[in-house]
Amino acid sequence: MSQMNGASSLVASLEACGVDVMFGIPGGAILPAYDPIFSSPIRHILVRHEQGAGHAATGYAQVTGRVGVCIATSGPGATNLVTPLADAAMDSVPVVAITGQVPSVAIGTDAFQEADIRGITMPFTKHNYLITDPAQIPRAIAEAFHIASTGRPGPVLVDIAKDALQKMTDFEFPTSISLKGYQPQAVPNTQSIIDAADLIAQSSKPIFYVGGGVIKAEASRELLELAQLLGAPVVTTLMARGAFPDSHPLHLGMPGMHGTVAAVTGLQKADLLITLGARFDDRVTGKLSTFAVNAKVIHADIDPAEIGKNRFADVAVLGDLKHTIAALIPALRSALSKNRPDLTPWLHQMNSLQSAYPLGYDTPKDGALSPQYVIERLGKISGPHAIFAAGVGQHQMWASQFISYENPRTWLNSGGLGTMGYAVPAAMGAKVGAPDTTVWAIDGDGCFQMTNQELVTCALNNIPIKVAIINNESLGMVRQWQTLFYEGRYSNTNLESKRVPNFPMLAEAMGCIGLSCERAEDVDEIIEKAMNINDQPVVVDFRVHRDAMVWPMVAAGTSNDDIMIARETAPDWDSQEL
Amino acid sequence: MAQHTLEVIVENSPGVLARVAGLFSRRAYNIERLSVGPTANPETSKMQIVVNLDGHALEQVIAQLDKLINVIAIKEILQESAQPTVHDTQPDYQN
Repeated sequence: MSQMNGASSLVASLEACGVDVMFGIPGGAILPAYDPIFSSPIRHILVRHEQGAGHAATGYAQVTGRVGVCIATSGPGATNLVTPLADAAMDSVPVVAITGQVPSVAIGTDAFQEADIRGITMPFTKHNYLITDPAQIPRAIAEAFHIASTGRPGPVLVDIAKDALQKMTDFEFPTSISLKGYQPQAVPNTQSIIDAADLIAQSSKPIFYVGGGVIKAEASRELLELAQLLGAPVVTTLMARGAFPDSHPLHLGMPGMHGTVAAVTGLQKADLLITLGARFDDRVTGKLSTFAVNAKVIHADIDPAEIGKNRFADVAVLGDLKHTIAALIPALRSALSKNRPDLTPWLHQMNSLQSAYPLGYDTPKDGALSPQYVIERLGKISGPHAIFAAGVGQHQMWASQFISYENPRTWLNSGGLGTMGYAVPAAMGAKVGAPDTTVWAIDGDGCFQMTNQELVTCALNNIPIKVAIINNESLGMVRQWQTLFYEGRYSNTNLESKRVPNFPMLAEAMGCIGLSCERAEDVDEIIEKAMNINDQPVVVDFRVHRDAMVWPMVAAGTSNDDIMIARETAPDWDSQEL
Repeated sequence: MAQHTLEVIVENSPGVLARVAGLFSRRAYNIERLSVGPTANPETSKMQIVVNLDGHALEQVIAQLDKLINVIAIKEILQESAQPTVHDTQPDYQN
């Protein structure tokens, strides 16, 4: 135990939690903490906007599996963290946010830069704290890291009054944490594993519905073994891309609104969904009452509230997926030794859908650059170990569709909240977490204009990310919906970003290399050029065709059975045996 | 729908009522009646929450309440006219 002020106690607690980096901006209420930060071994990266700090912490956490940390002052500093915290909650990312608060005597008086950030963030943090007594700081920090990183991961906010940072206290870091109201169950119940294995062994059309939980649980290797043991098809959701190798013959691709015909139809026609760390999101199920109507459901998840939330589970397996899948492998082997259904006709059906309806795109007749081609080449040239962070919209869907993900933690995006502007700061955090790996932000021209200020942070802090702007001078996904559902009335989706801003010049102004490309024959050369710049961030303005659309598509609120492969074109179901 | 009474033991800490009330509000469930009182242990409080929910919705409320870190225990106080639980029609999203 040693005497120090609350601020030093905070920084000592962060060090005790193993924090090596945090992203933030100082201000009045958090200022006392920045004095001990100045002499701490923790690397503090000074961002340009608190939202950037939050998404950077998220990107760092998604790449490393460790807790990402961001720090901001009271009032506007704290409210600028609202979007990334809501984002981290929706995508179950372990993030700890530290905010300064006005002095405890001023709380509730509408003081300068006062905002009730604990109240504001209650709905989308896993838990949060308001600390007014310096003696509580070490325990709050220890609990915050414990809660953020265990069970279903998520963001935790610790708001600390300025006087609690200034007052003297005894620092003593807790050696153990016990929370009466929080005991996540890691090891699944044995009977639930046996029930799941038995149900699988009775199924002739099973499918693995794999969600982001598999990546969080570091269970990709176990999943590969389980899938090969059963020999059933696999789909990976937007949050699970990379959890199972795209090149594997059992992989049907991504399901959902912009999923492959084989993945969407595989879920629809299955007799059993083996659901691993997925949550029956509306973007996957389409109209819920018509989703996989003939399927029984095994739902394995660490969050009890997900089981049965949107879809009844015939067998619920509550636990950490690494334990769950590891236990399921021998149980299934034993169940299959008694009864092994022939999955050949089912696999044959799925393979024929895959070959009849592969992902594809048209090359524009006017010679303009296809956005899908650019993204496909980015994936091929950067290789299977590169990390990709996408924004939200058409480019995000194409980046999910046209890059082959072979490894977990190589695909980062804002799946649940759909946060435009996520890519650049998340890529920054990812590069800090994996400095020796190529990190691309694949961004839209709309998204990029929301958070590109963090390129200054990257340039000044030796964080050489690469940014591919898929510039179709529009809010492309909204424009696509206007094309399809609003008779082509393009209300406020024209960004004119081929005129203004000049992205390469903007990049250069922020200390990056700026490049531009608008012909297919130049794409490879420019990507190679960007790949060879490793001492500075690079931004490439890919000026692409404006009218490209994301297909296939299940329109919002409709059934997955009504998937379209192009405008007014459904798959030819009569030629398929289903 | 039958009324159900939940007895919720929570940590006696600032903000806990807001956490519980906020959860009901943001997940679009109504609270029919709510009372909060002390327990023999000064570190905990007891909430009695009466809801007009059945089956799937009731299970969801309990599961979501249980996720609040400050919620220690939840039990349903069974009434004589308790109905067997059934699964509700589940929601479809239109956005």
